[in-house]
Amino acid sequence: MRWLGAFLVLSGAAFLLGDYHNDVYRKMLLWVTLALGYNFLFGICGQVSFSHFAFYGIGAYSVVILLFQLHVPLPLAILLGVAVCIVVALAVAIPATRLEGFYLALATLALAQLFVVLLNEGGDITGGTGGIANYRLPAMLGLQIRGPWYTGVIVFLLLLTLWVLVKLDRSWFGRACRAVRDNPEAAAAMGIDVARTRVAAFTLTSALAGVAGMVYAFVDNTVNPPIFGLENAFLLLFMVIVGGSGRHAGAVIGAVLLFLLPFWLSPLVGHHHVLVFGVLMLAAILLQPKGLIGLWDQCRHRFSR
Amino acid sequence: MQASILEVRGLSKRFGGLTAVSELAFEVREGEILGMIGPNGAGKSTTFNLIAGTYPASSGEIVFKEASILGLAPHQIARRGILRTFQHNRPFEGMPVIDNVLVGAHRLFTKNSHAEEAVRRSRAEELIEFVGLGGLAAADVGTLSFGQGRLLEIARALAGEPRLILFDEPAAGLAPAELDRLAEIIRGIAARGIAVLLIEHDMHFLLPLAHRVVVLNFGAKIADGLPDEIRRDPAVMDAYLGSHAAHS
Repeated sequence: MRWLGAFLVLSGAAFLLGDYHNDVYRKMLLWVTLALGYNFLFGICGQVSFSHFAFYGIGAYSVVILLFQLHVPLPLAILLGVAVCIVVALAVAIPATRLEGFYLALATLALAQLFVVLLNEGGDITGGTGGIANYRLPAMLGLQIRGPWYTGVIVFLLLLTLWVLVKLDRSWFGRACRAVRDNPEAAAAMGIDVARTRVAAFTLTSALAGVAGMVYAFVDNTVNPPIFGLENAFLLLFMVIVGGSGRHAGAVIGAVLLFLLPFWLSPLVGHHHVLVFGVLMLAAILLQPKGLIGLWDQCRHRFSR
Repeated sequence: MQASILEVRGLSKRFGGLTAVSELAFEVREGEILGMIGPNGAGKSTTFNLIAGTYPASSGEIVFKEASILGLAPHQIARRGILRTFQHNRPFEGMPVIDNVLVGAHRLFTKNSHAEEAVRRSRAEELIEFVGLGGLAAADVGTLSFGQGRLLEIARALAGEPRLILFDEPAAGLAPAELDRLAEIIRGIAARGIAVLLIEHDMHFLLPLAHRVVVLNFGAKIADGLPDEIRRDPAVMDAYLGSHAAHS
């Protein structure tokens, strides 16, 4: 019931916004979706990965290539797109997570870089440096979903992602993920298969990022290499840390704040907003490792006394 | 006599040229507290880690409930029902006490139902009470004292309903009053029918507690028997107090 209410409110808001603000709103929702998944991987399972945003791109490109280059029907294209994400995630995670954390960071950084190189060098398949543009979401059951109605699809995706992650977090699997993050040796001594838990969390969150990417592909109706560069991979990490890693609410706050901040800051400082991000990030790490959500907890604690 | 639950035969571990454990044989019986003592460097910790699967053995056999566990990874050994505590407390810092204990029950979860979670949770609360951390279920593990952290280690291992529990120097770092409480808890565990293998440096703590004792020195067994026999054994005195003390 609460979920339905959230869906109605969040999608209803799209109808009140103009075209421009609706576009900003949708991208914010997508960032929140990504940050939620990345928070599970980084904040709850403790894996420092830089490929989360690349999987967003893999999902987006997969669905576009399958639909418009290979002419696969939409439902099949979605399933195949998810399959591509899962296969790539397993290929990276299985060798990397068997090693210590640092190697996962390196392997995922390499994947993120390689992905952009492949996009640029992909010739007709990926559209090279220009990417692929001017396509449209195929009609489903004779319906063409567009405008604010498509925002409803994004809200559905966000809530579905949140629901899956909350369920997982509250299950023994989520507890195992936290145990692996806090102390892998002790987790193993309690019967937790550390490598398998890490691979499962990595693959699952990567697939969720891929699905978000598929939805993103029809927001601007264009996919091109610069969108999926490393800058955004780091931004995602910043969002989770500034908001408060390990907490769903923290991921939401961090994503909303860091996504909207440039819109407010640009008129004041131009492109130097990146500097502000840097300062925020340092402040979070040095002064408030639990992020903004930790700050909120402290305030609430103080007032409830 | 009780049947044995763990049998160790001809167990050896070499690190390069150094033999840490050599041709070790002993058994742990159902429901008993087996103490293993020896001076520093005697091979106690290595033996412990071989049983828990932290290191692979160089040779020998480890049989638990009539099946070999040699070469299994630590998590596989835990799933078969051997759970352990750590000498240096290793809590899951980001979770409250109760969730730490629930991680111990990981191997018992079969499905993902609320009913199962509720059963495990109330069981975990009982265990928190049993080890003497009552009222601290929701506490942040960071607020526990060192001694309380040790008790949490025990509750966490018990949550997995082990058949055999391994204690790695549980007395290390505890105050005298805490030692009495710890001994009482370990007796209570054995009374529940759980076999206990207790590795300990402190003879004064271990001898009144253990049903049987194995003594190691330089990686080999130099004595085993009842605590009273061990107290009188000249080889043990020699190992612990040095040859001068024993001969003078």
